[in-house]
Amino acid sequence: MSKGVLATPKRGIRELGAEELVGWDEVTQGTILETFETEVDNVAHIRPEERPYSDFSSYTATVASWRVIKPVYNRDICIDCQHCWVWCPDTSIVSRDKQMLGIDYDHCKGCGVCVEVCPTNPKSLLMFAEAEEPEVALTKWPEKKKKEK
Amino acid sequence: MAEKMQLNEVEVWDGNLAAAQALRQAQVDVVAAYPITPSTPIVENYGYFVANGYVDGEYVMVESEHAAMSACVGAAAAGGRVATATSSQGFMLMIEVLYQASGMRVPLVLTVANRAVASPLNVRGDHGDMYAGRDSGWVQMDAFNAQEAYDLTLCAFKIGEDMRVRLPVMVHQDGFLTSHTAQNVHPLQDDEAYKFVGDYKPYEEMLDFSKPVTYGAQTEEDWHFEHKARQHKALFDSAAVIDEVFEEFKKLTGREYKRVESYMMEDAEVAIVALGTTVETARVAAEELRKEEGIKAGVVAPRVFRPFPFNEIRDALANVKAVAVLDRSAPMGAMGALFNEISAAMYTTPNRPLITNFIYGLGGRDFPVSEAKRIFKEQKAHADAGYITTPIQQFSGVRGPKLGFFETKRS
Amino acid sequence: MALRPIKNLKEFSTANERLEGAHLLCPGCAHSMIVRELMNATDDNLVIATNTGCLEVSTAVYPYTSWDTSWIHIGFENAASAISGAEAMYKARKRKGTLKDPDAPVKFVAFGGDGSTYDIGFQWLSGAIERGHDFTYICLDNEVYANTGGQRSSSTPVGASTTTAQAGRVSYGKKEKKKDIVAIMAAHGAPYVAQVAPNKWKIMAKVFQKALETEGPCFINTVSACTTEWKFDPKNTIEVTDLATDTLIFPIYEIVNGTELNILYRPKKVLPVEEYFAAQGRFKHLFKPENRHIIDQIQKDVNERWEYLQRREEARV
Repeated sequence: MSKGVLATPKRGIRELGAEELVGWDEVTQGTILETFETEVDNVAHIRPEERPYSDFSSYTATVASWRVIKPVYNRDICIDCQHCWVWCPDTSIVSRDKQMLGIDYDHCKGCGVCVEVCPTNPKSLLMFAEAEEPEVALTKWPEKKKKEK
Repeated sequence: MAEKMQLNEVEVWDGNLAAAQALRQAQVDVVAAYPITPSTPIVENYGYFVANGYVDGEYVMVESEHAAMSACVGAAAAGGRVATATSSQGFMLMIEVLYQASGMRVPLVLTVANRAVASPLNVRGDHGDMYAGRDSGWVQMDAFNAQEAYDLTLCAFKIGEDMRVRLPVMVHQDGFLTSHTAQNVHPLQDDEAYKFVGDYKPYEEMLDFSKPVTYGAQTEEDWHFEHKARQHKALFDSAAVIDEVFEEFKKLTGREYKRVESYMMEDAEVAIVALGTTVETARVAAEELRKEEGIKAGVVAPRVFRPFPFNEIRDALANVKAVAVLDRSAPMGAMGALFNEISAAMYTTPNRPLITNFIYGLGGRDFPVSEAKRIFKEQKAHADAGYITTPIQQFSGVRGPKLGFFETKRS
Repeated sequence: MALRPIKNLKEFSTANERLEGAHLLCPGCAHSMIVRELMNATDDNLVIATNTGCLEVSTAVYPYTSWDTSWIHIGFENAASAISGAEAMYKARKRKGTLKDPDAPVKFVAFGGDGSTYDIGFQWLSGAIERGHDFTYICLDNEVYANTGGQRSSSTPVGASTTTAQAGRVSYGKKEKKKDIVAIMAAHGAPYVAQVAPNKWKIMAKVFQKALETEGPCFINTVSACTTEWKFDPKNTIEVTDLATDTLIFPIYEIVNGTELNILYRPKKVLPVEEYFAAQGRFKHLFKPENRHIIDQIQKDVNERWEYLQRREEARV
């Protein structure tokens, strides 16, 4: 399965519920969870792929199995408007330096909002069956629709 | 910097002022509180300190006790010293958050002026609120007079904030009987007191932005049990730290505290186990009975109600023949809670004394020395007979026909 | 105070996300759109308290957290108190010099759903606003107890069917009007109160920034379309929200210092409310002949309400 753009060795490495179940002597004191393994200097200034996420961050988990359909991204049509980025409920549109790079398939749940809000013609994002390879999906892209008068 | 307060060697303080002074001396960062009789003066006295420059911390007057404890938890998670005060209905309103405070392992101090729980409404002292906290996961310490309320409040910060403990701590005192009774108190000077308590040491604080932390995560059936087990062990393990802190306090002040206080128990044949001001009443009764009638009476009092001092209770009552356990809380369809716990501890000893239960003093009903003496004498009768000669649970001091439940089974 | 550039979406999209994926919110949930936008609106450190609810149970299930900032959840009702305590602690420690990084900019934020804001946490919120703590409270208003499976709250609008205000043979769903939480919060004298919707991302970002910048307690009601309980296809979250704002069911406006009301969005073409209702399963019974009068009544109420807001705006009150 494709991990999507800017995947890191940490992102989406385990299914929810697949983490090791440790004993009472190893659970964290007070149920407190530390997001990062080491200290960070204002996380708002650090790109996700450069952050020292601990195993407690859901960044390291995947919800890919929730999907039955998935969005596929077509770079050739995209105008980098970032509609998909602002409305993605799952932090799964990867944009860097004002450019849409693609989809984080570890965290995308396949809701389809990104496709609905995409303003290009044809759309730069379309939903396909989960099993469809993105490369194959791109060959099935529709033509530009003529405006109905 | 907060102004220092010059204190006399002996001050005349009631329990509420004693507790408030301890909060001031501990230089609490956030007090979030809501007033309720009889603990209101703790908050009012503290308000005086705030208004006159004796306090540097924040004083947040919230709209309910639930909010008070919630703000305390938020403040504690933000990495500083926190305290509040309450009683009775306010305590009951806090209960949801008491469990959350201990579950998140945040140290904070709650000074409680014990009071009965409605209905019917009553502002006087009994232990209904204290008992309602017994499963909440807090350390619960009990002061029998104003001096102890002061001393234990200082100790409470040091115990709860210890890195080996990190649990919230309650310091109980009897409503009115202690909270509103002016007594001689020997305070520490501000610097000495603060030095004893020490600087607050943050742990997993929300205000360390280089290390973001999540407080209050959900745990379901695959994780909850382990967290609760760990928390339970932490509370039991706090006993060793409590002993250390009491030892250090003794070195500083000469005043000695133990998790179980024993009085004239060396040769005692009969004993009363009680909490709060009743302990002092029972001690007077024991002294007088020894003089007047030669009854070898003694008094045992759990200074620390939680963690329950199971071993120390067994040691304290190892050689007595009959024990009366006094519960100042309406048990409602059960034996008194203290009775149950003392009985459970003693059942696992070879001695297995005869143990009876008295429900007394509800809603602030007076418990006189004469009644303590009568109870001692009843224990003596049990001891002499070799079995419990009365109902196992009795009501002491209630009007109407004699009220008692359950007889001993002898065959 | 470091606000993110929000002149256009391209600039805004350079923000480094602080709400991680693999949270458990439903596909298409508007909650996370709103939370992400709030967090992306500033580069300042954030301390966030969250009431029990969908957001909370979905973003901090042991052993995972989706938060890259300090975060606390205590109970259903008390995020406003928790953030009060944290903010008070910040002030105390700043004064005493015990903060690890005293110069680090920080904002205090609380999130609650409508259940915890309009209902169970109402008193806690009121108290925190009255006390004047420097924080922003954001209500994620999906008009229902969604986390527990769709029970009515005092935010549920007239005519919606919920599991505890069901439409049936003799009922058209909820009969009581939605509580006007924005007016109530404004009446507290809060310096800044607003209602916004995620479809109008720029207005929402501006309002969030204004709230974060304003000293003192601010309250923002955000419309959060709920695919599960409003019963629409998850892909249509923004489309349904568009209908909410363009039918004026959810007018977008702010109230400054309890008096100055400004309408922030005027639809070019106001749509009839039934278009909004037709897009959601929770209102489908309203289209039965015997319930049509409810739609008419709601349309009348929405028109009157819009008139009222405009009158207030015009009169500067």
